[in-house]
Amino acid sequence: MSADPYNQKVRAYFADTAHCGDVEDGAVGYFEDQGMRVRLSAEVEDGRITRLAFRAWACPHVIAAAESVCREFEGRPVAELEQFASAQIMQDLAVPVEKTGRILVLEDSVRSLGHAIRDRLSTKQD
Amino acid sequence: MPNYPDLIYLDFAATTPLDPDVALCMQRVQSQAYFNPSSNHIGGRRSASVVQNAAEKLAALLNTDPASFVWTSGATEANNLAIVGAAKQREHRGRHLVTMRTEHKAVVDVFRHLEKQGFEVTWLQPEPDGRLPVDRFEAALRDDTQLASIMHINNETGTVQDIAKLGAICKDRGVLFHVDAAQSAGKVLVDLADLPVDLLSLTAHKFYGPKGIGALYVKTGTPLLAMMFGGGQQRRLRPGTLAVDLIAGLGEAARIAAVRHEDDFKRLSAQKSQLLAGIRDIDGLHVNGALDDAYPGILNVGVEDIEGESLLLALEPLCVATGSACNSQSQEPSYVLRALGRSDWQAQSAIRFSFGRTTSTDDVERAITIYRNAVEKLRNLAPERVA
Repeated sequence: MSADPYNQKVRAYFADTAHCGDVEDGAVGYFEDQGMRVRLSAEVEDGRITRLAFRAWACPHVIAAAESVCREFEGRPVAELEQFASAQIMQDLAVPVEKTGRILVLEDSVRSLGHAIRDRLSTKQD
Repeated sequence: MPNYPDLIYLDFAATTPLDPDVALCMQRVQSQAYFNPSSNHIGGRRSASVVQNAAEKLAALLNTDPASFVWTSGATEANNLAIVGAAKQREHRGRHLVTMRTEHKAVVDVFRHLEKQGFEVTWLQPEPDGRLPVDRFEAALRDDTQLASIMHINNETGTVQDIAKLGAICKDRGVLFHVDAAQSAGKVLVDLADLPVDLLSLTAHKFYGPKGIGALYVKTGTPLLAMMFGGGQQRRLRPGTLAVDLIAGLGEAARIAAVRHEDDFKRLSAQKSQLLAGIRDIDGLHVNGALDDAYPGILNVGVEDIEGESLLLALEPLCVATGSACNSQSQEPSYVLRALGRSDWQAQSAIRFSFGRTTSTDDVERAITIYRNAVEKLRNLAPERVA
């Protein structure tokens, strides 16, 4: 017997990937591992993320998680990106434990985006 | 037949809906012939006559003797009985067996079980289109080969094996020949008066009959050892009280299949062509298995650089099978497609469309649109690879 592997949130985010795309000239975080690849790009103003977009070649849980990250972090301070931890998303999207590694790839992408933004900001200040 | 407007069912190779006439037949039997067919009274004789009538209908479909069937719970049990029963019966003569890498799990796992018991199995590799060359099969047979088992129609790709030629070789060499006909019985012509087959497995739910009932054809004089014990039913080969209503349902499904299968075949051919014409221009699309002379009820396609699990979700409300299906509980890429030379990534994007009696032209048209949109959506989502 097969139960539905996706909860309502996964289905909703997967169906409506409003943040799919690229922020032109934005900072980029990219990671490829576990048979998947995720790219995040962002626009920042006054230390806050004004636009966040993603692209992903991944399973529905990761695509939904990437959409969720974009919705959650738009408007928030950049510094929060680097503190991102996947545990809450794992719980909200009921990600099966065997997919933990894939969600960690997303986590790496988010953190790498945080680093990329910080590098850009420090270059501008220099 | 039931109609669910919220889904488009294109997974008839997994199972088919119960034909309304089959359901009526079973209801009649449940209320009027619920007796134990082994009972020595008028009720028992009534049920026994229902079973006999079903055997005659199945025999008419397959052009053989009604006494040559053993009722089972389905094709899996029939495969087990045929393969283990024949191998064990003849093991004093030799312990070499032959089969293919692309067989259904219900055959593969039985041979794996026998390997653990000391039998030697030759696993034949098909061509990339799924067909088994006759000369490769013949070369695999040895003096100590006792049994060969080759499926008629592959459940994942629809590729058809030349069981007439393979069976003739077995007959010449004194090797028992078993055919898993789960995907062919009731769908294409299977003439057992003409085909050199010793054992043939089938199941009712693949041709609009009920789930839980199948049969093993055992050619007269074919030696088999029983695997179950507990009564004298069915020549002691498969004891237990017969499920009269299910057997009646199988028989009625066989009667209907005999009338319909030629028309069904033509309609399925048109639908397969319609689907293929609607998607074949998609960049990176490939067909898994043979297209020429293949069973028209199945089309298996893959597309480059698409994640399979996301594809399946994006295809909803289409009910189709993935490259990890046959045993869809697993996310492992299909071993059948791997045996045809597909990579793990190609196999995991594979989708099996399978058509049936209730499939409409409109269903196929909607499937084309949904598939194209799903591939486009996932390609739009995917980032460029960074070296």
